[in-house]
Amino acid sequence: MTESDDQELHTLAGPYVMDAVTQDERVNFVAHLANCAQCQEDVREMREATARLGVAAAVRPRVELKEQTIRAAFRTSQLGPAVSERTDLQLSARHRRRVGRLRPFAERARSVGMSARVALAAAALVVAAAIAFGLIANDAMQQLRHSQRQDHMIAAILNARDAVMLTAHVTTGGQATVVMSHREHGLVFTAHGLRRLPSSQAYELWLMGPAGDRPGGMLGPASDGTAGPAVVMGLGRSDMIGLTVEPASGSVRPSSVMVLLIRQHG
Amino acid sequence: MSDGGASQDGEGFPIADPHEHSSQRLDDLLTAVARGDERAYEAVYDHASGWVLGVARKVLRDPAQAEEVMQEVLLEVWRTASRFDPGVGSATSWVMTIAHRRAVDRVRSERSHSTRELRAATAVIDYDDVTEAVQASLDRERVQRCLSSLTELQRECVGLAYYSGYTYREVAGLLGVPPGTVKTRMRDGLIRLRDCLGVS
Repeated sequence: MTESDDQELHTLAGPYVMDAVTQDERVNFVAHLANCAQCQEDVREMREATARLGVAAAVRPRVELKEQTIRAAFRTSQLGPAVSERTDLQLSARHRRRVGRLRPFAERARSVGMSARVALAAAALVVAAAIAFGLIANDAMQQLRHSQRQDHMIAAILNARDAVMLTAHVTTGGQATVVMSHREHGLVFTAHGLRRLPSSQAYELWLMGPAGDRPGGMLGPASDGTAGPAVVMGLGRSDMIGLTVEPASGSVRPSSVMVLLIRQHG
Repeated sequence: MSDGGASQDGEGFPIADPHEHSSQRLDDLLTAVARGDERAYEAVYDHASGWVLGVARKVLRDPAQAEEVMQEVLLEVWRTASRFDPGVGSATSWVMTIAHRRAVDRVRSERSHSTRELRAATAVIDYDDVTEAVQASLDRERVQRCLSSLTELQRECVGLAYYSGYTYREVAGLLGVPPGTVKTRMRDGLIRLRDCLGVS
């Protein structure tokens, strides 16, 4: 790399700190950062300044988001320090000093009489486990995205101009409420007072019509007899909405008698 | 935490406390989160969710998407807390770096299929909005005061990049200034801002 290229990269510190660079520029600058002590210092200080710009724009989040976010987090496994250390090692020379933190593990291994080979194998296992946790973390992210998408769909259905609300009794006990919109091709289902089921069974929703019987999703177990809100998409004009009791793992076709059947009129 | 006064929504919301002990506290909380401390995580959420939502709203201008980004960022904070290194920067800066990056990534993928001219016009108007809204509390006033100590070009460059999520090349196009000039104005502007805010 020539000196002028270096100089060129040096001036990217400002844009880099504000994410005002392309992906390629970001990668190049991070590589440059590893060997430029002055840039590291500049970036650190400018980040403190941009953080204040962000903080100055603070607004209060809706209260409901806290519970939702925290629950998603607690279902998510955290990255172990060992993995981030490895990543940092590969990324940047300046973080090499962090390797020191890995030492206590080897020391612990020695102190409990593990051979070097066993300690190494155990360390590899830790890394493998952490990588597996990473995958699980992606799962939780998926779940969170799913629940966000579901929130949006619920709002879209409830706010649709053609939304219709129906309530009906469930034959085995309880009352169901359905809000449906044909513009949105979907419905929102809630129920209360449902009969409690053994853990081997669960309620399952169905759409039944000219397009055949389609599963509309399982209702989560609720000890207080409430269920939903559940969103079912793909609603057709002549579909009937049904509810059955199925094995907890769900069925692809209704395997027992409908405990609720809602027929649309008109 | 200090009392932050009113945000642009007219709600009181505590924003960053510049006092040492508060940012020290967030550093400690984050270190505890890295060990899986759930109470510490709730405290981090209370501290930082409003900041994250605020920056996401500025960049995305869509309240629903901003909420999604806020949740993703807070989840990321939980997941990667072990990567936070107090020796490299403050916890506030660590969290806000993740938040801004995510908001910008999201707005760029949105922008790739929308009218650029329209967005450009909005960005400039909204930037003025932002500086107005910043006045709500002592801390905001301080940021506002420091922003106004920049030259007009520095302020525009910083505002369009940070609050509107434009790359320096896009900013150059919007302002009709060479990209090289925009790069150096961003850097100079941020350094002046750093000195004025007394953060280091």
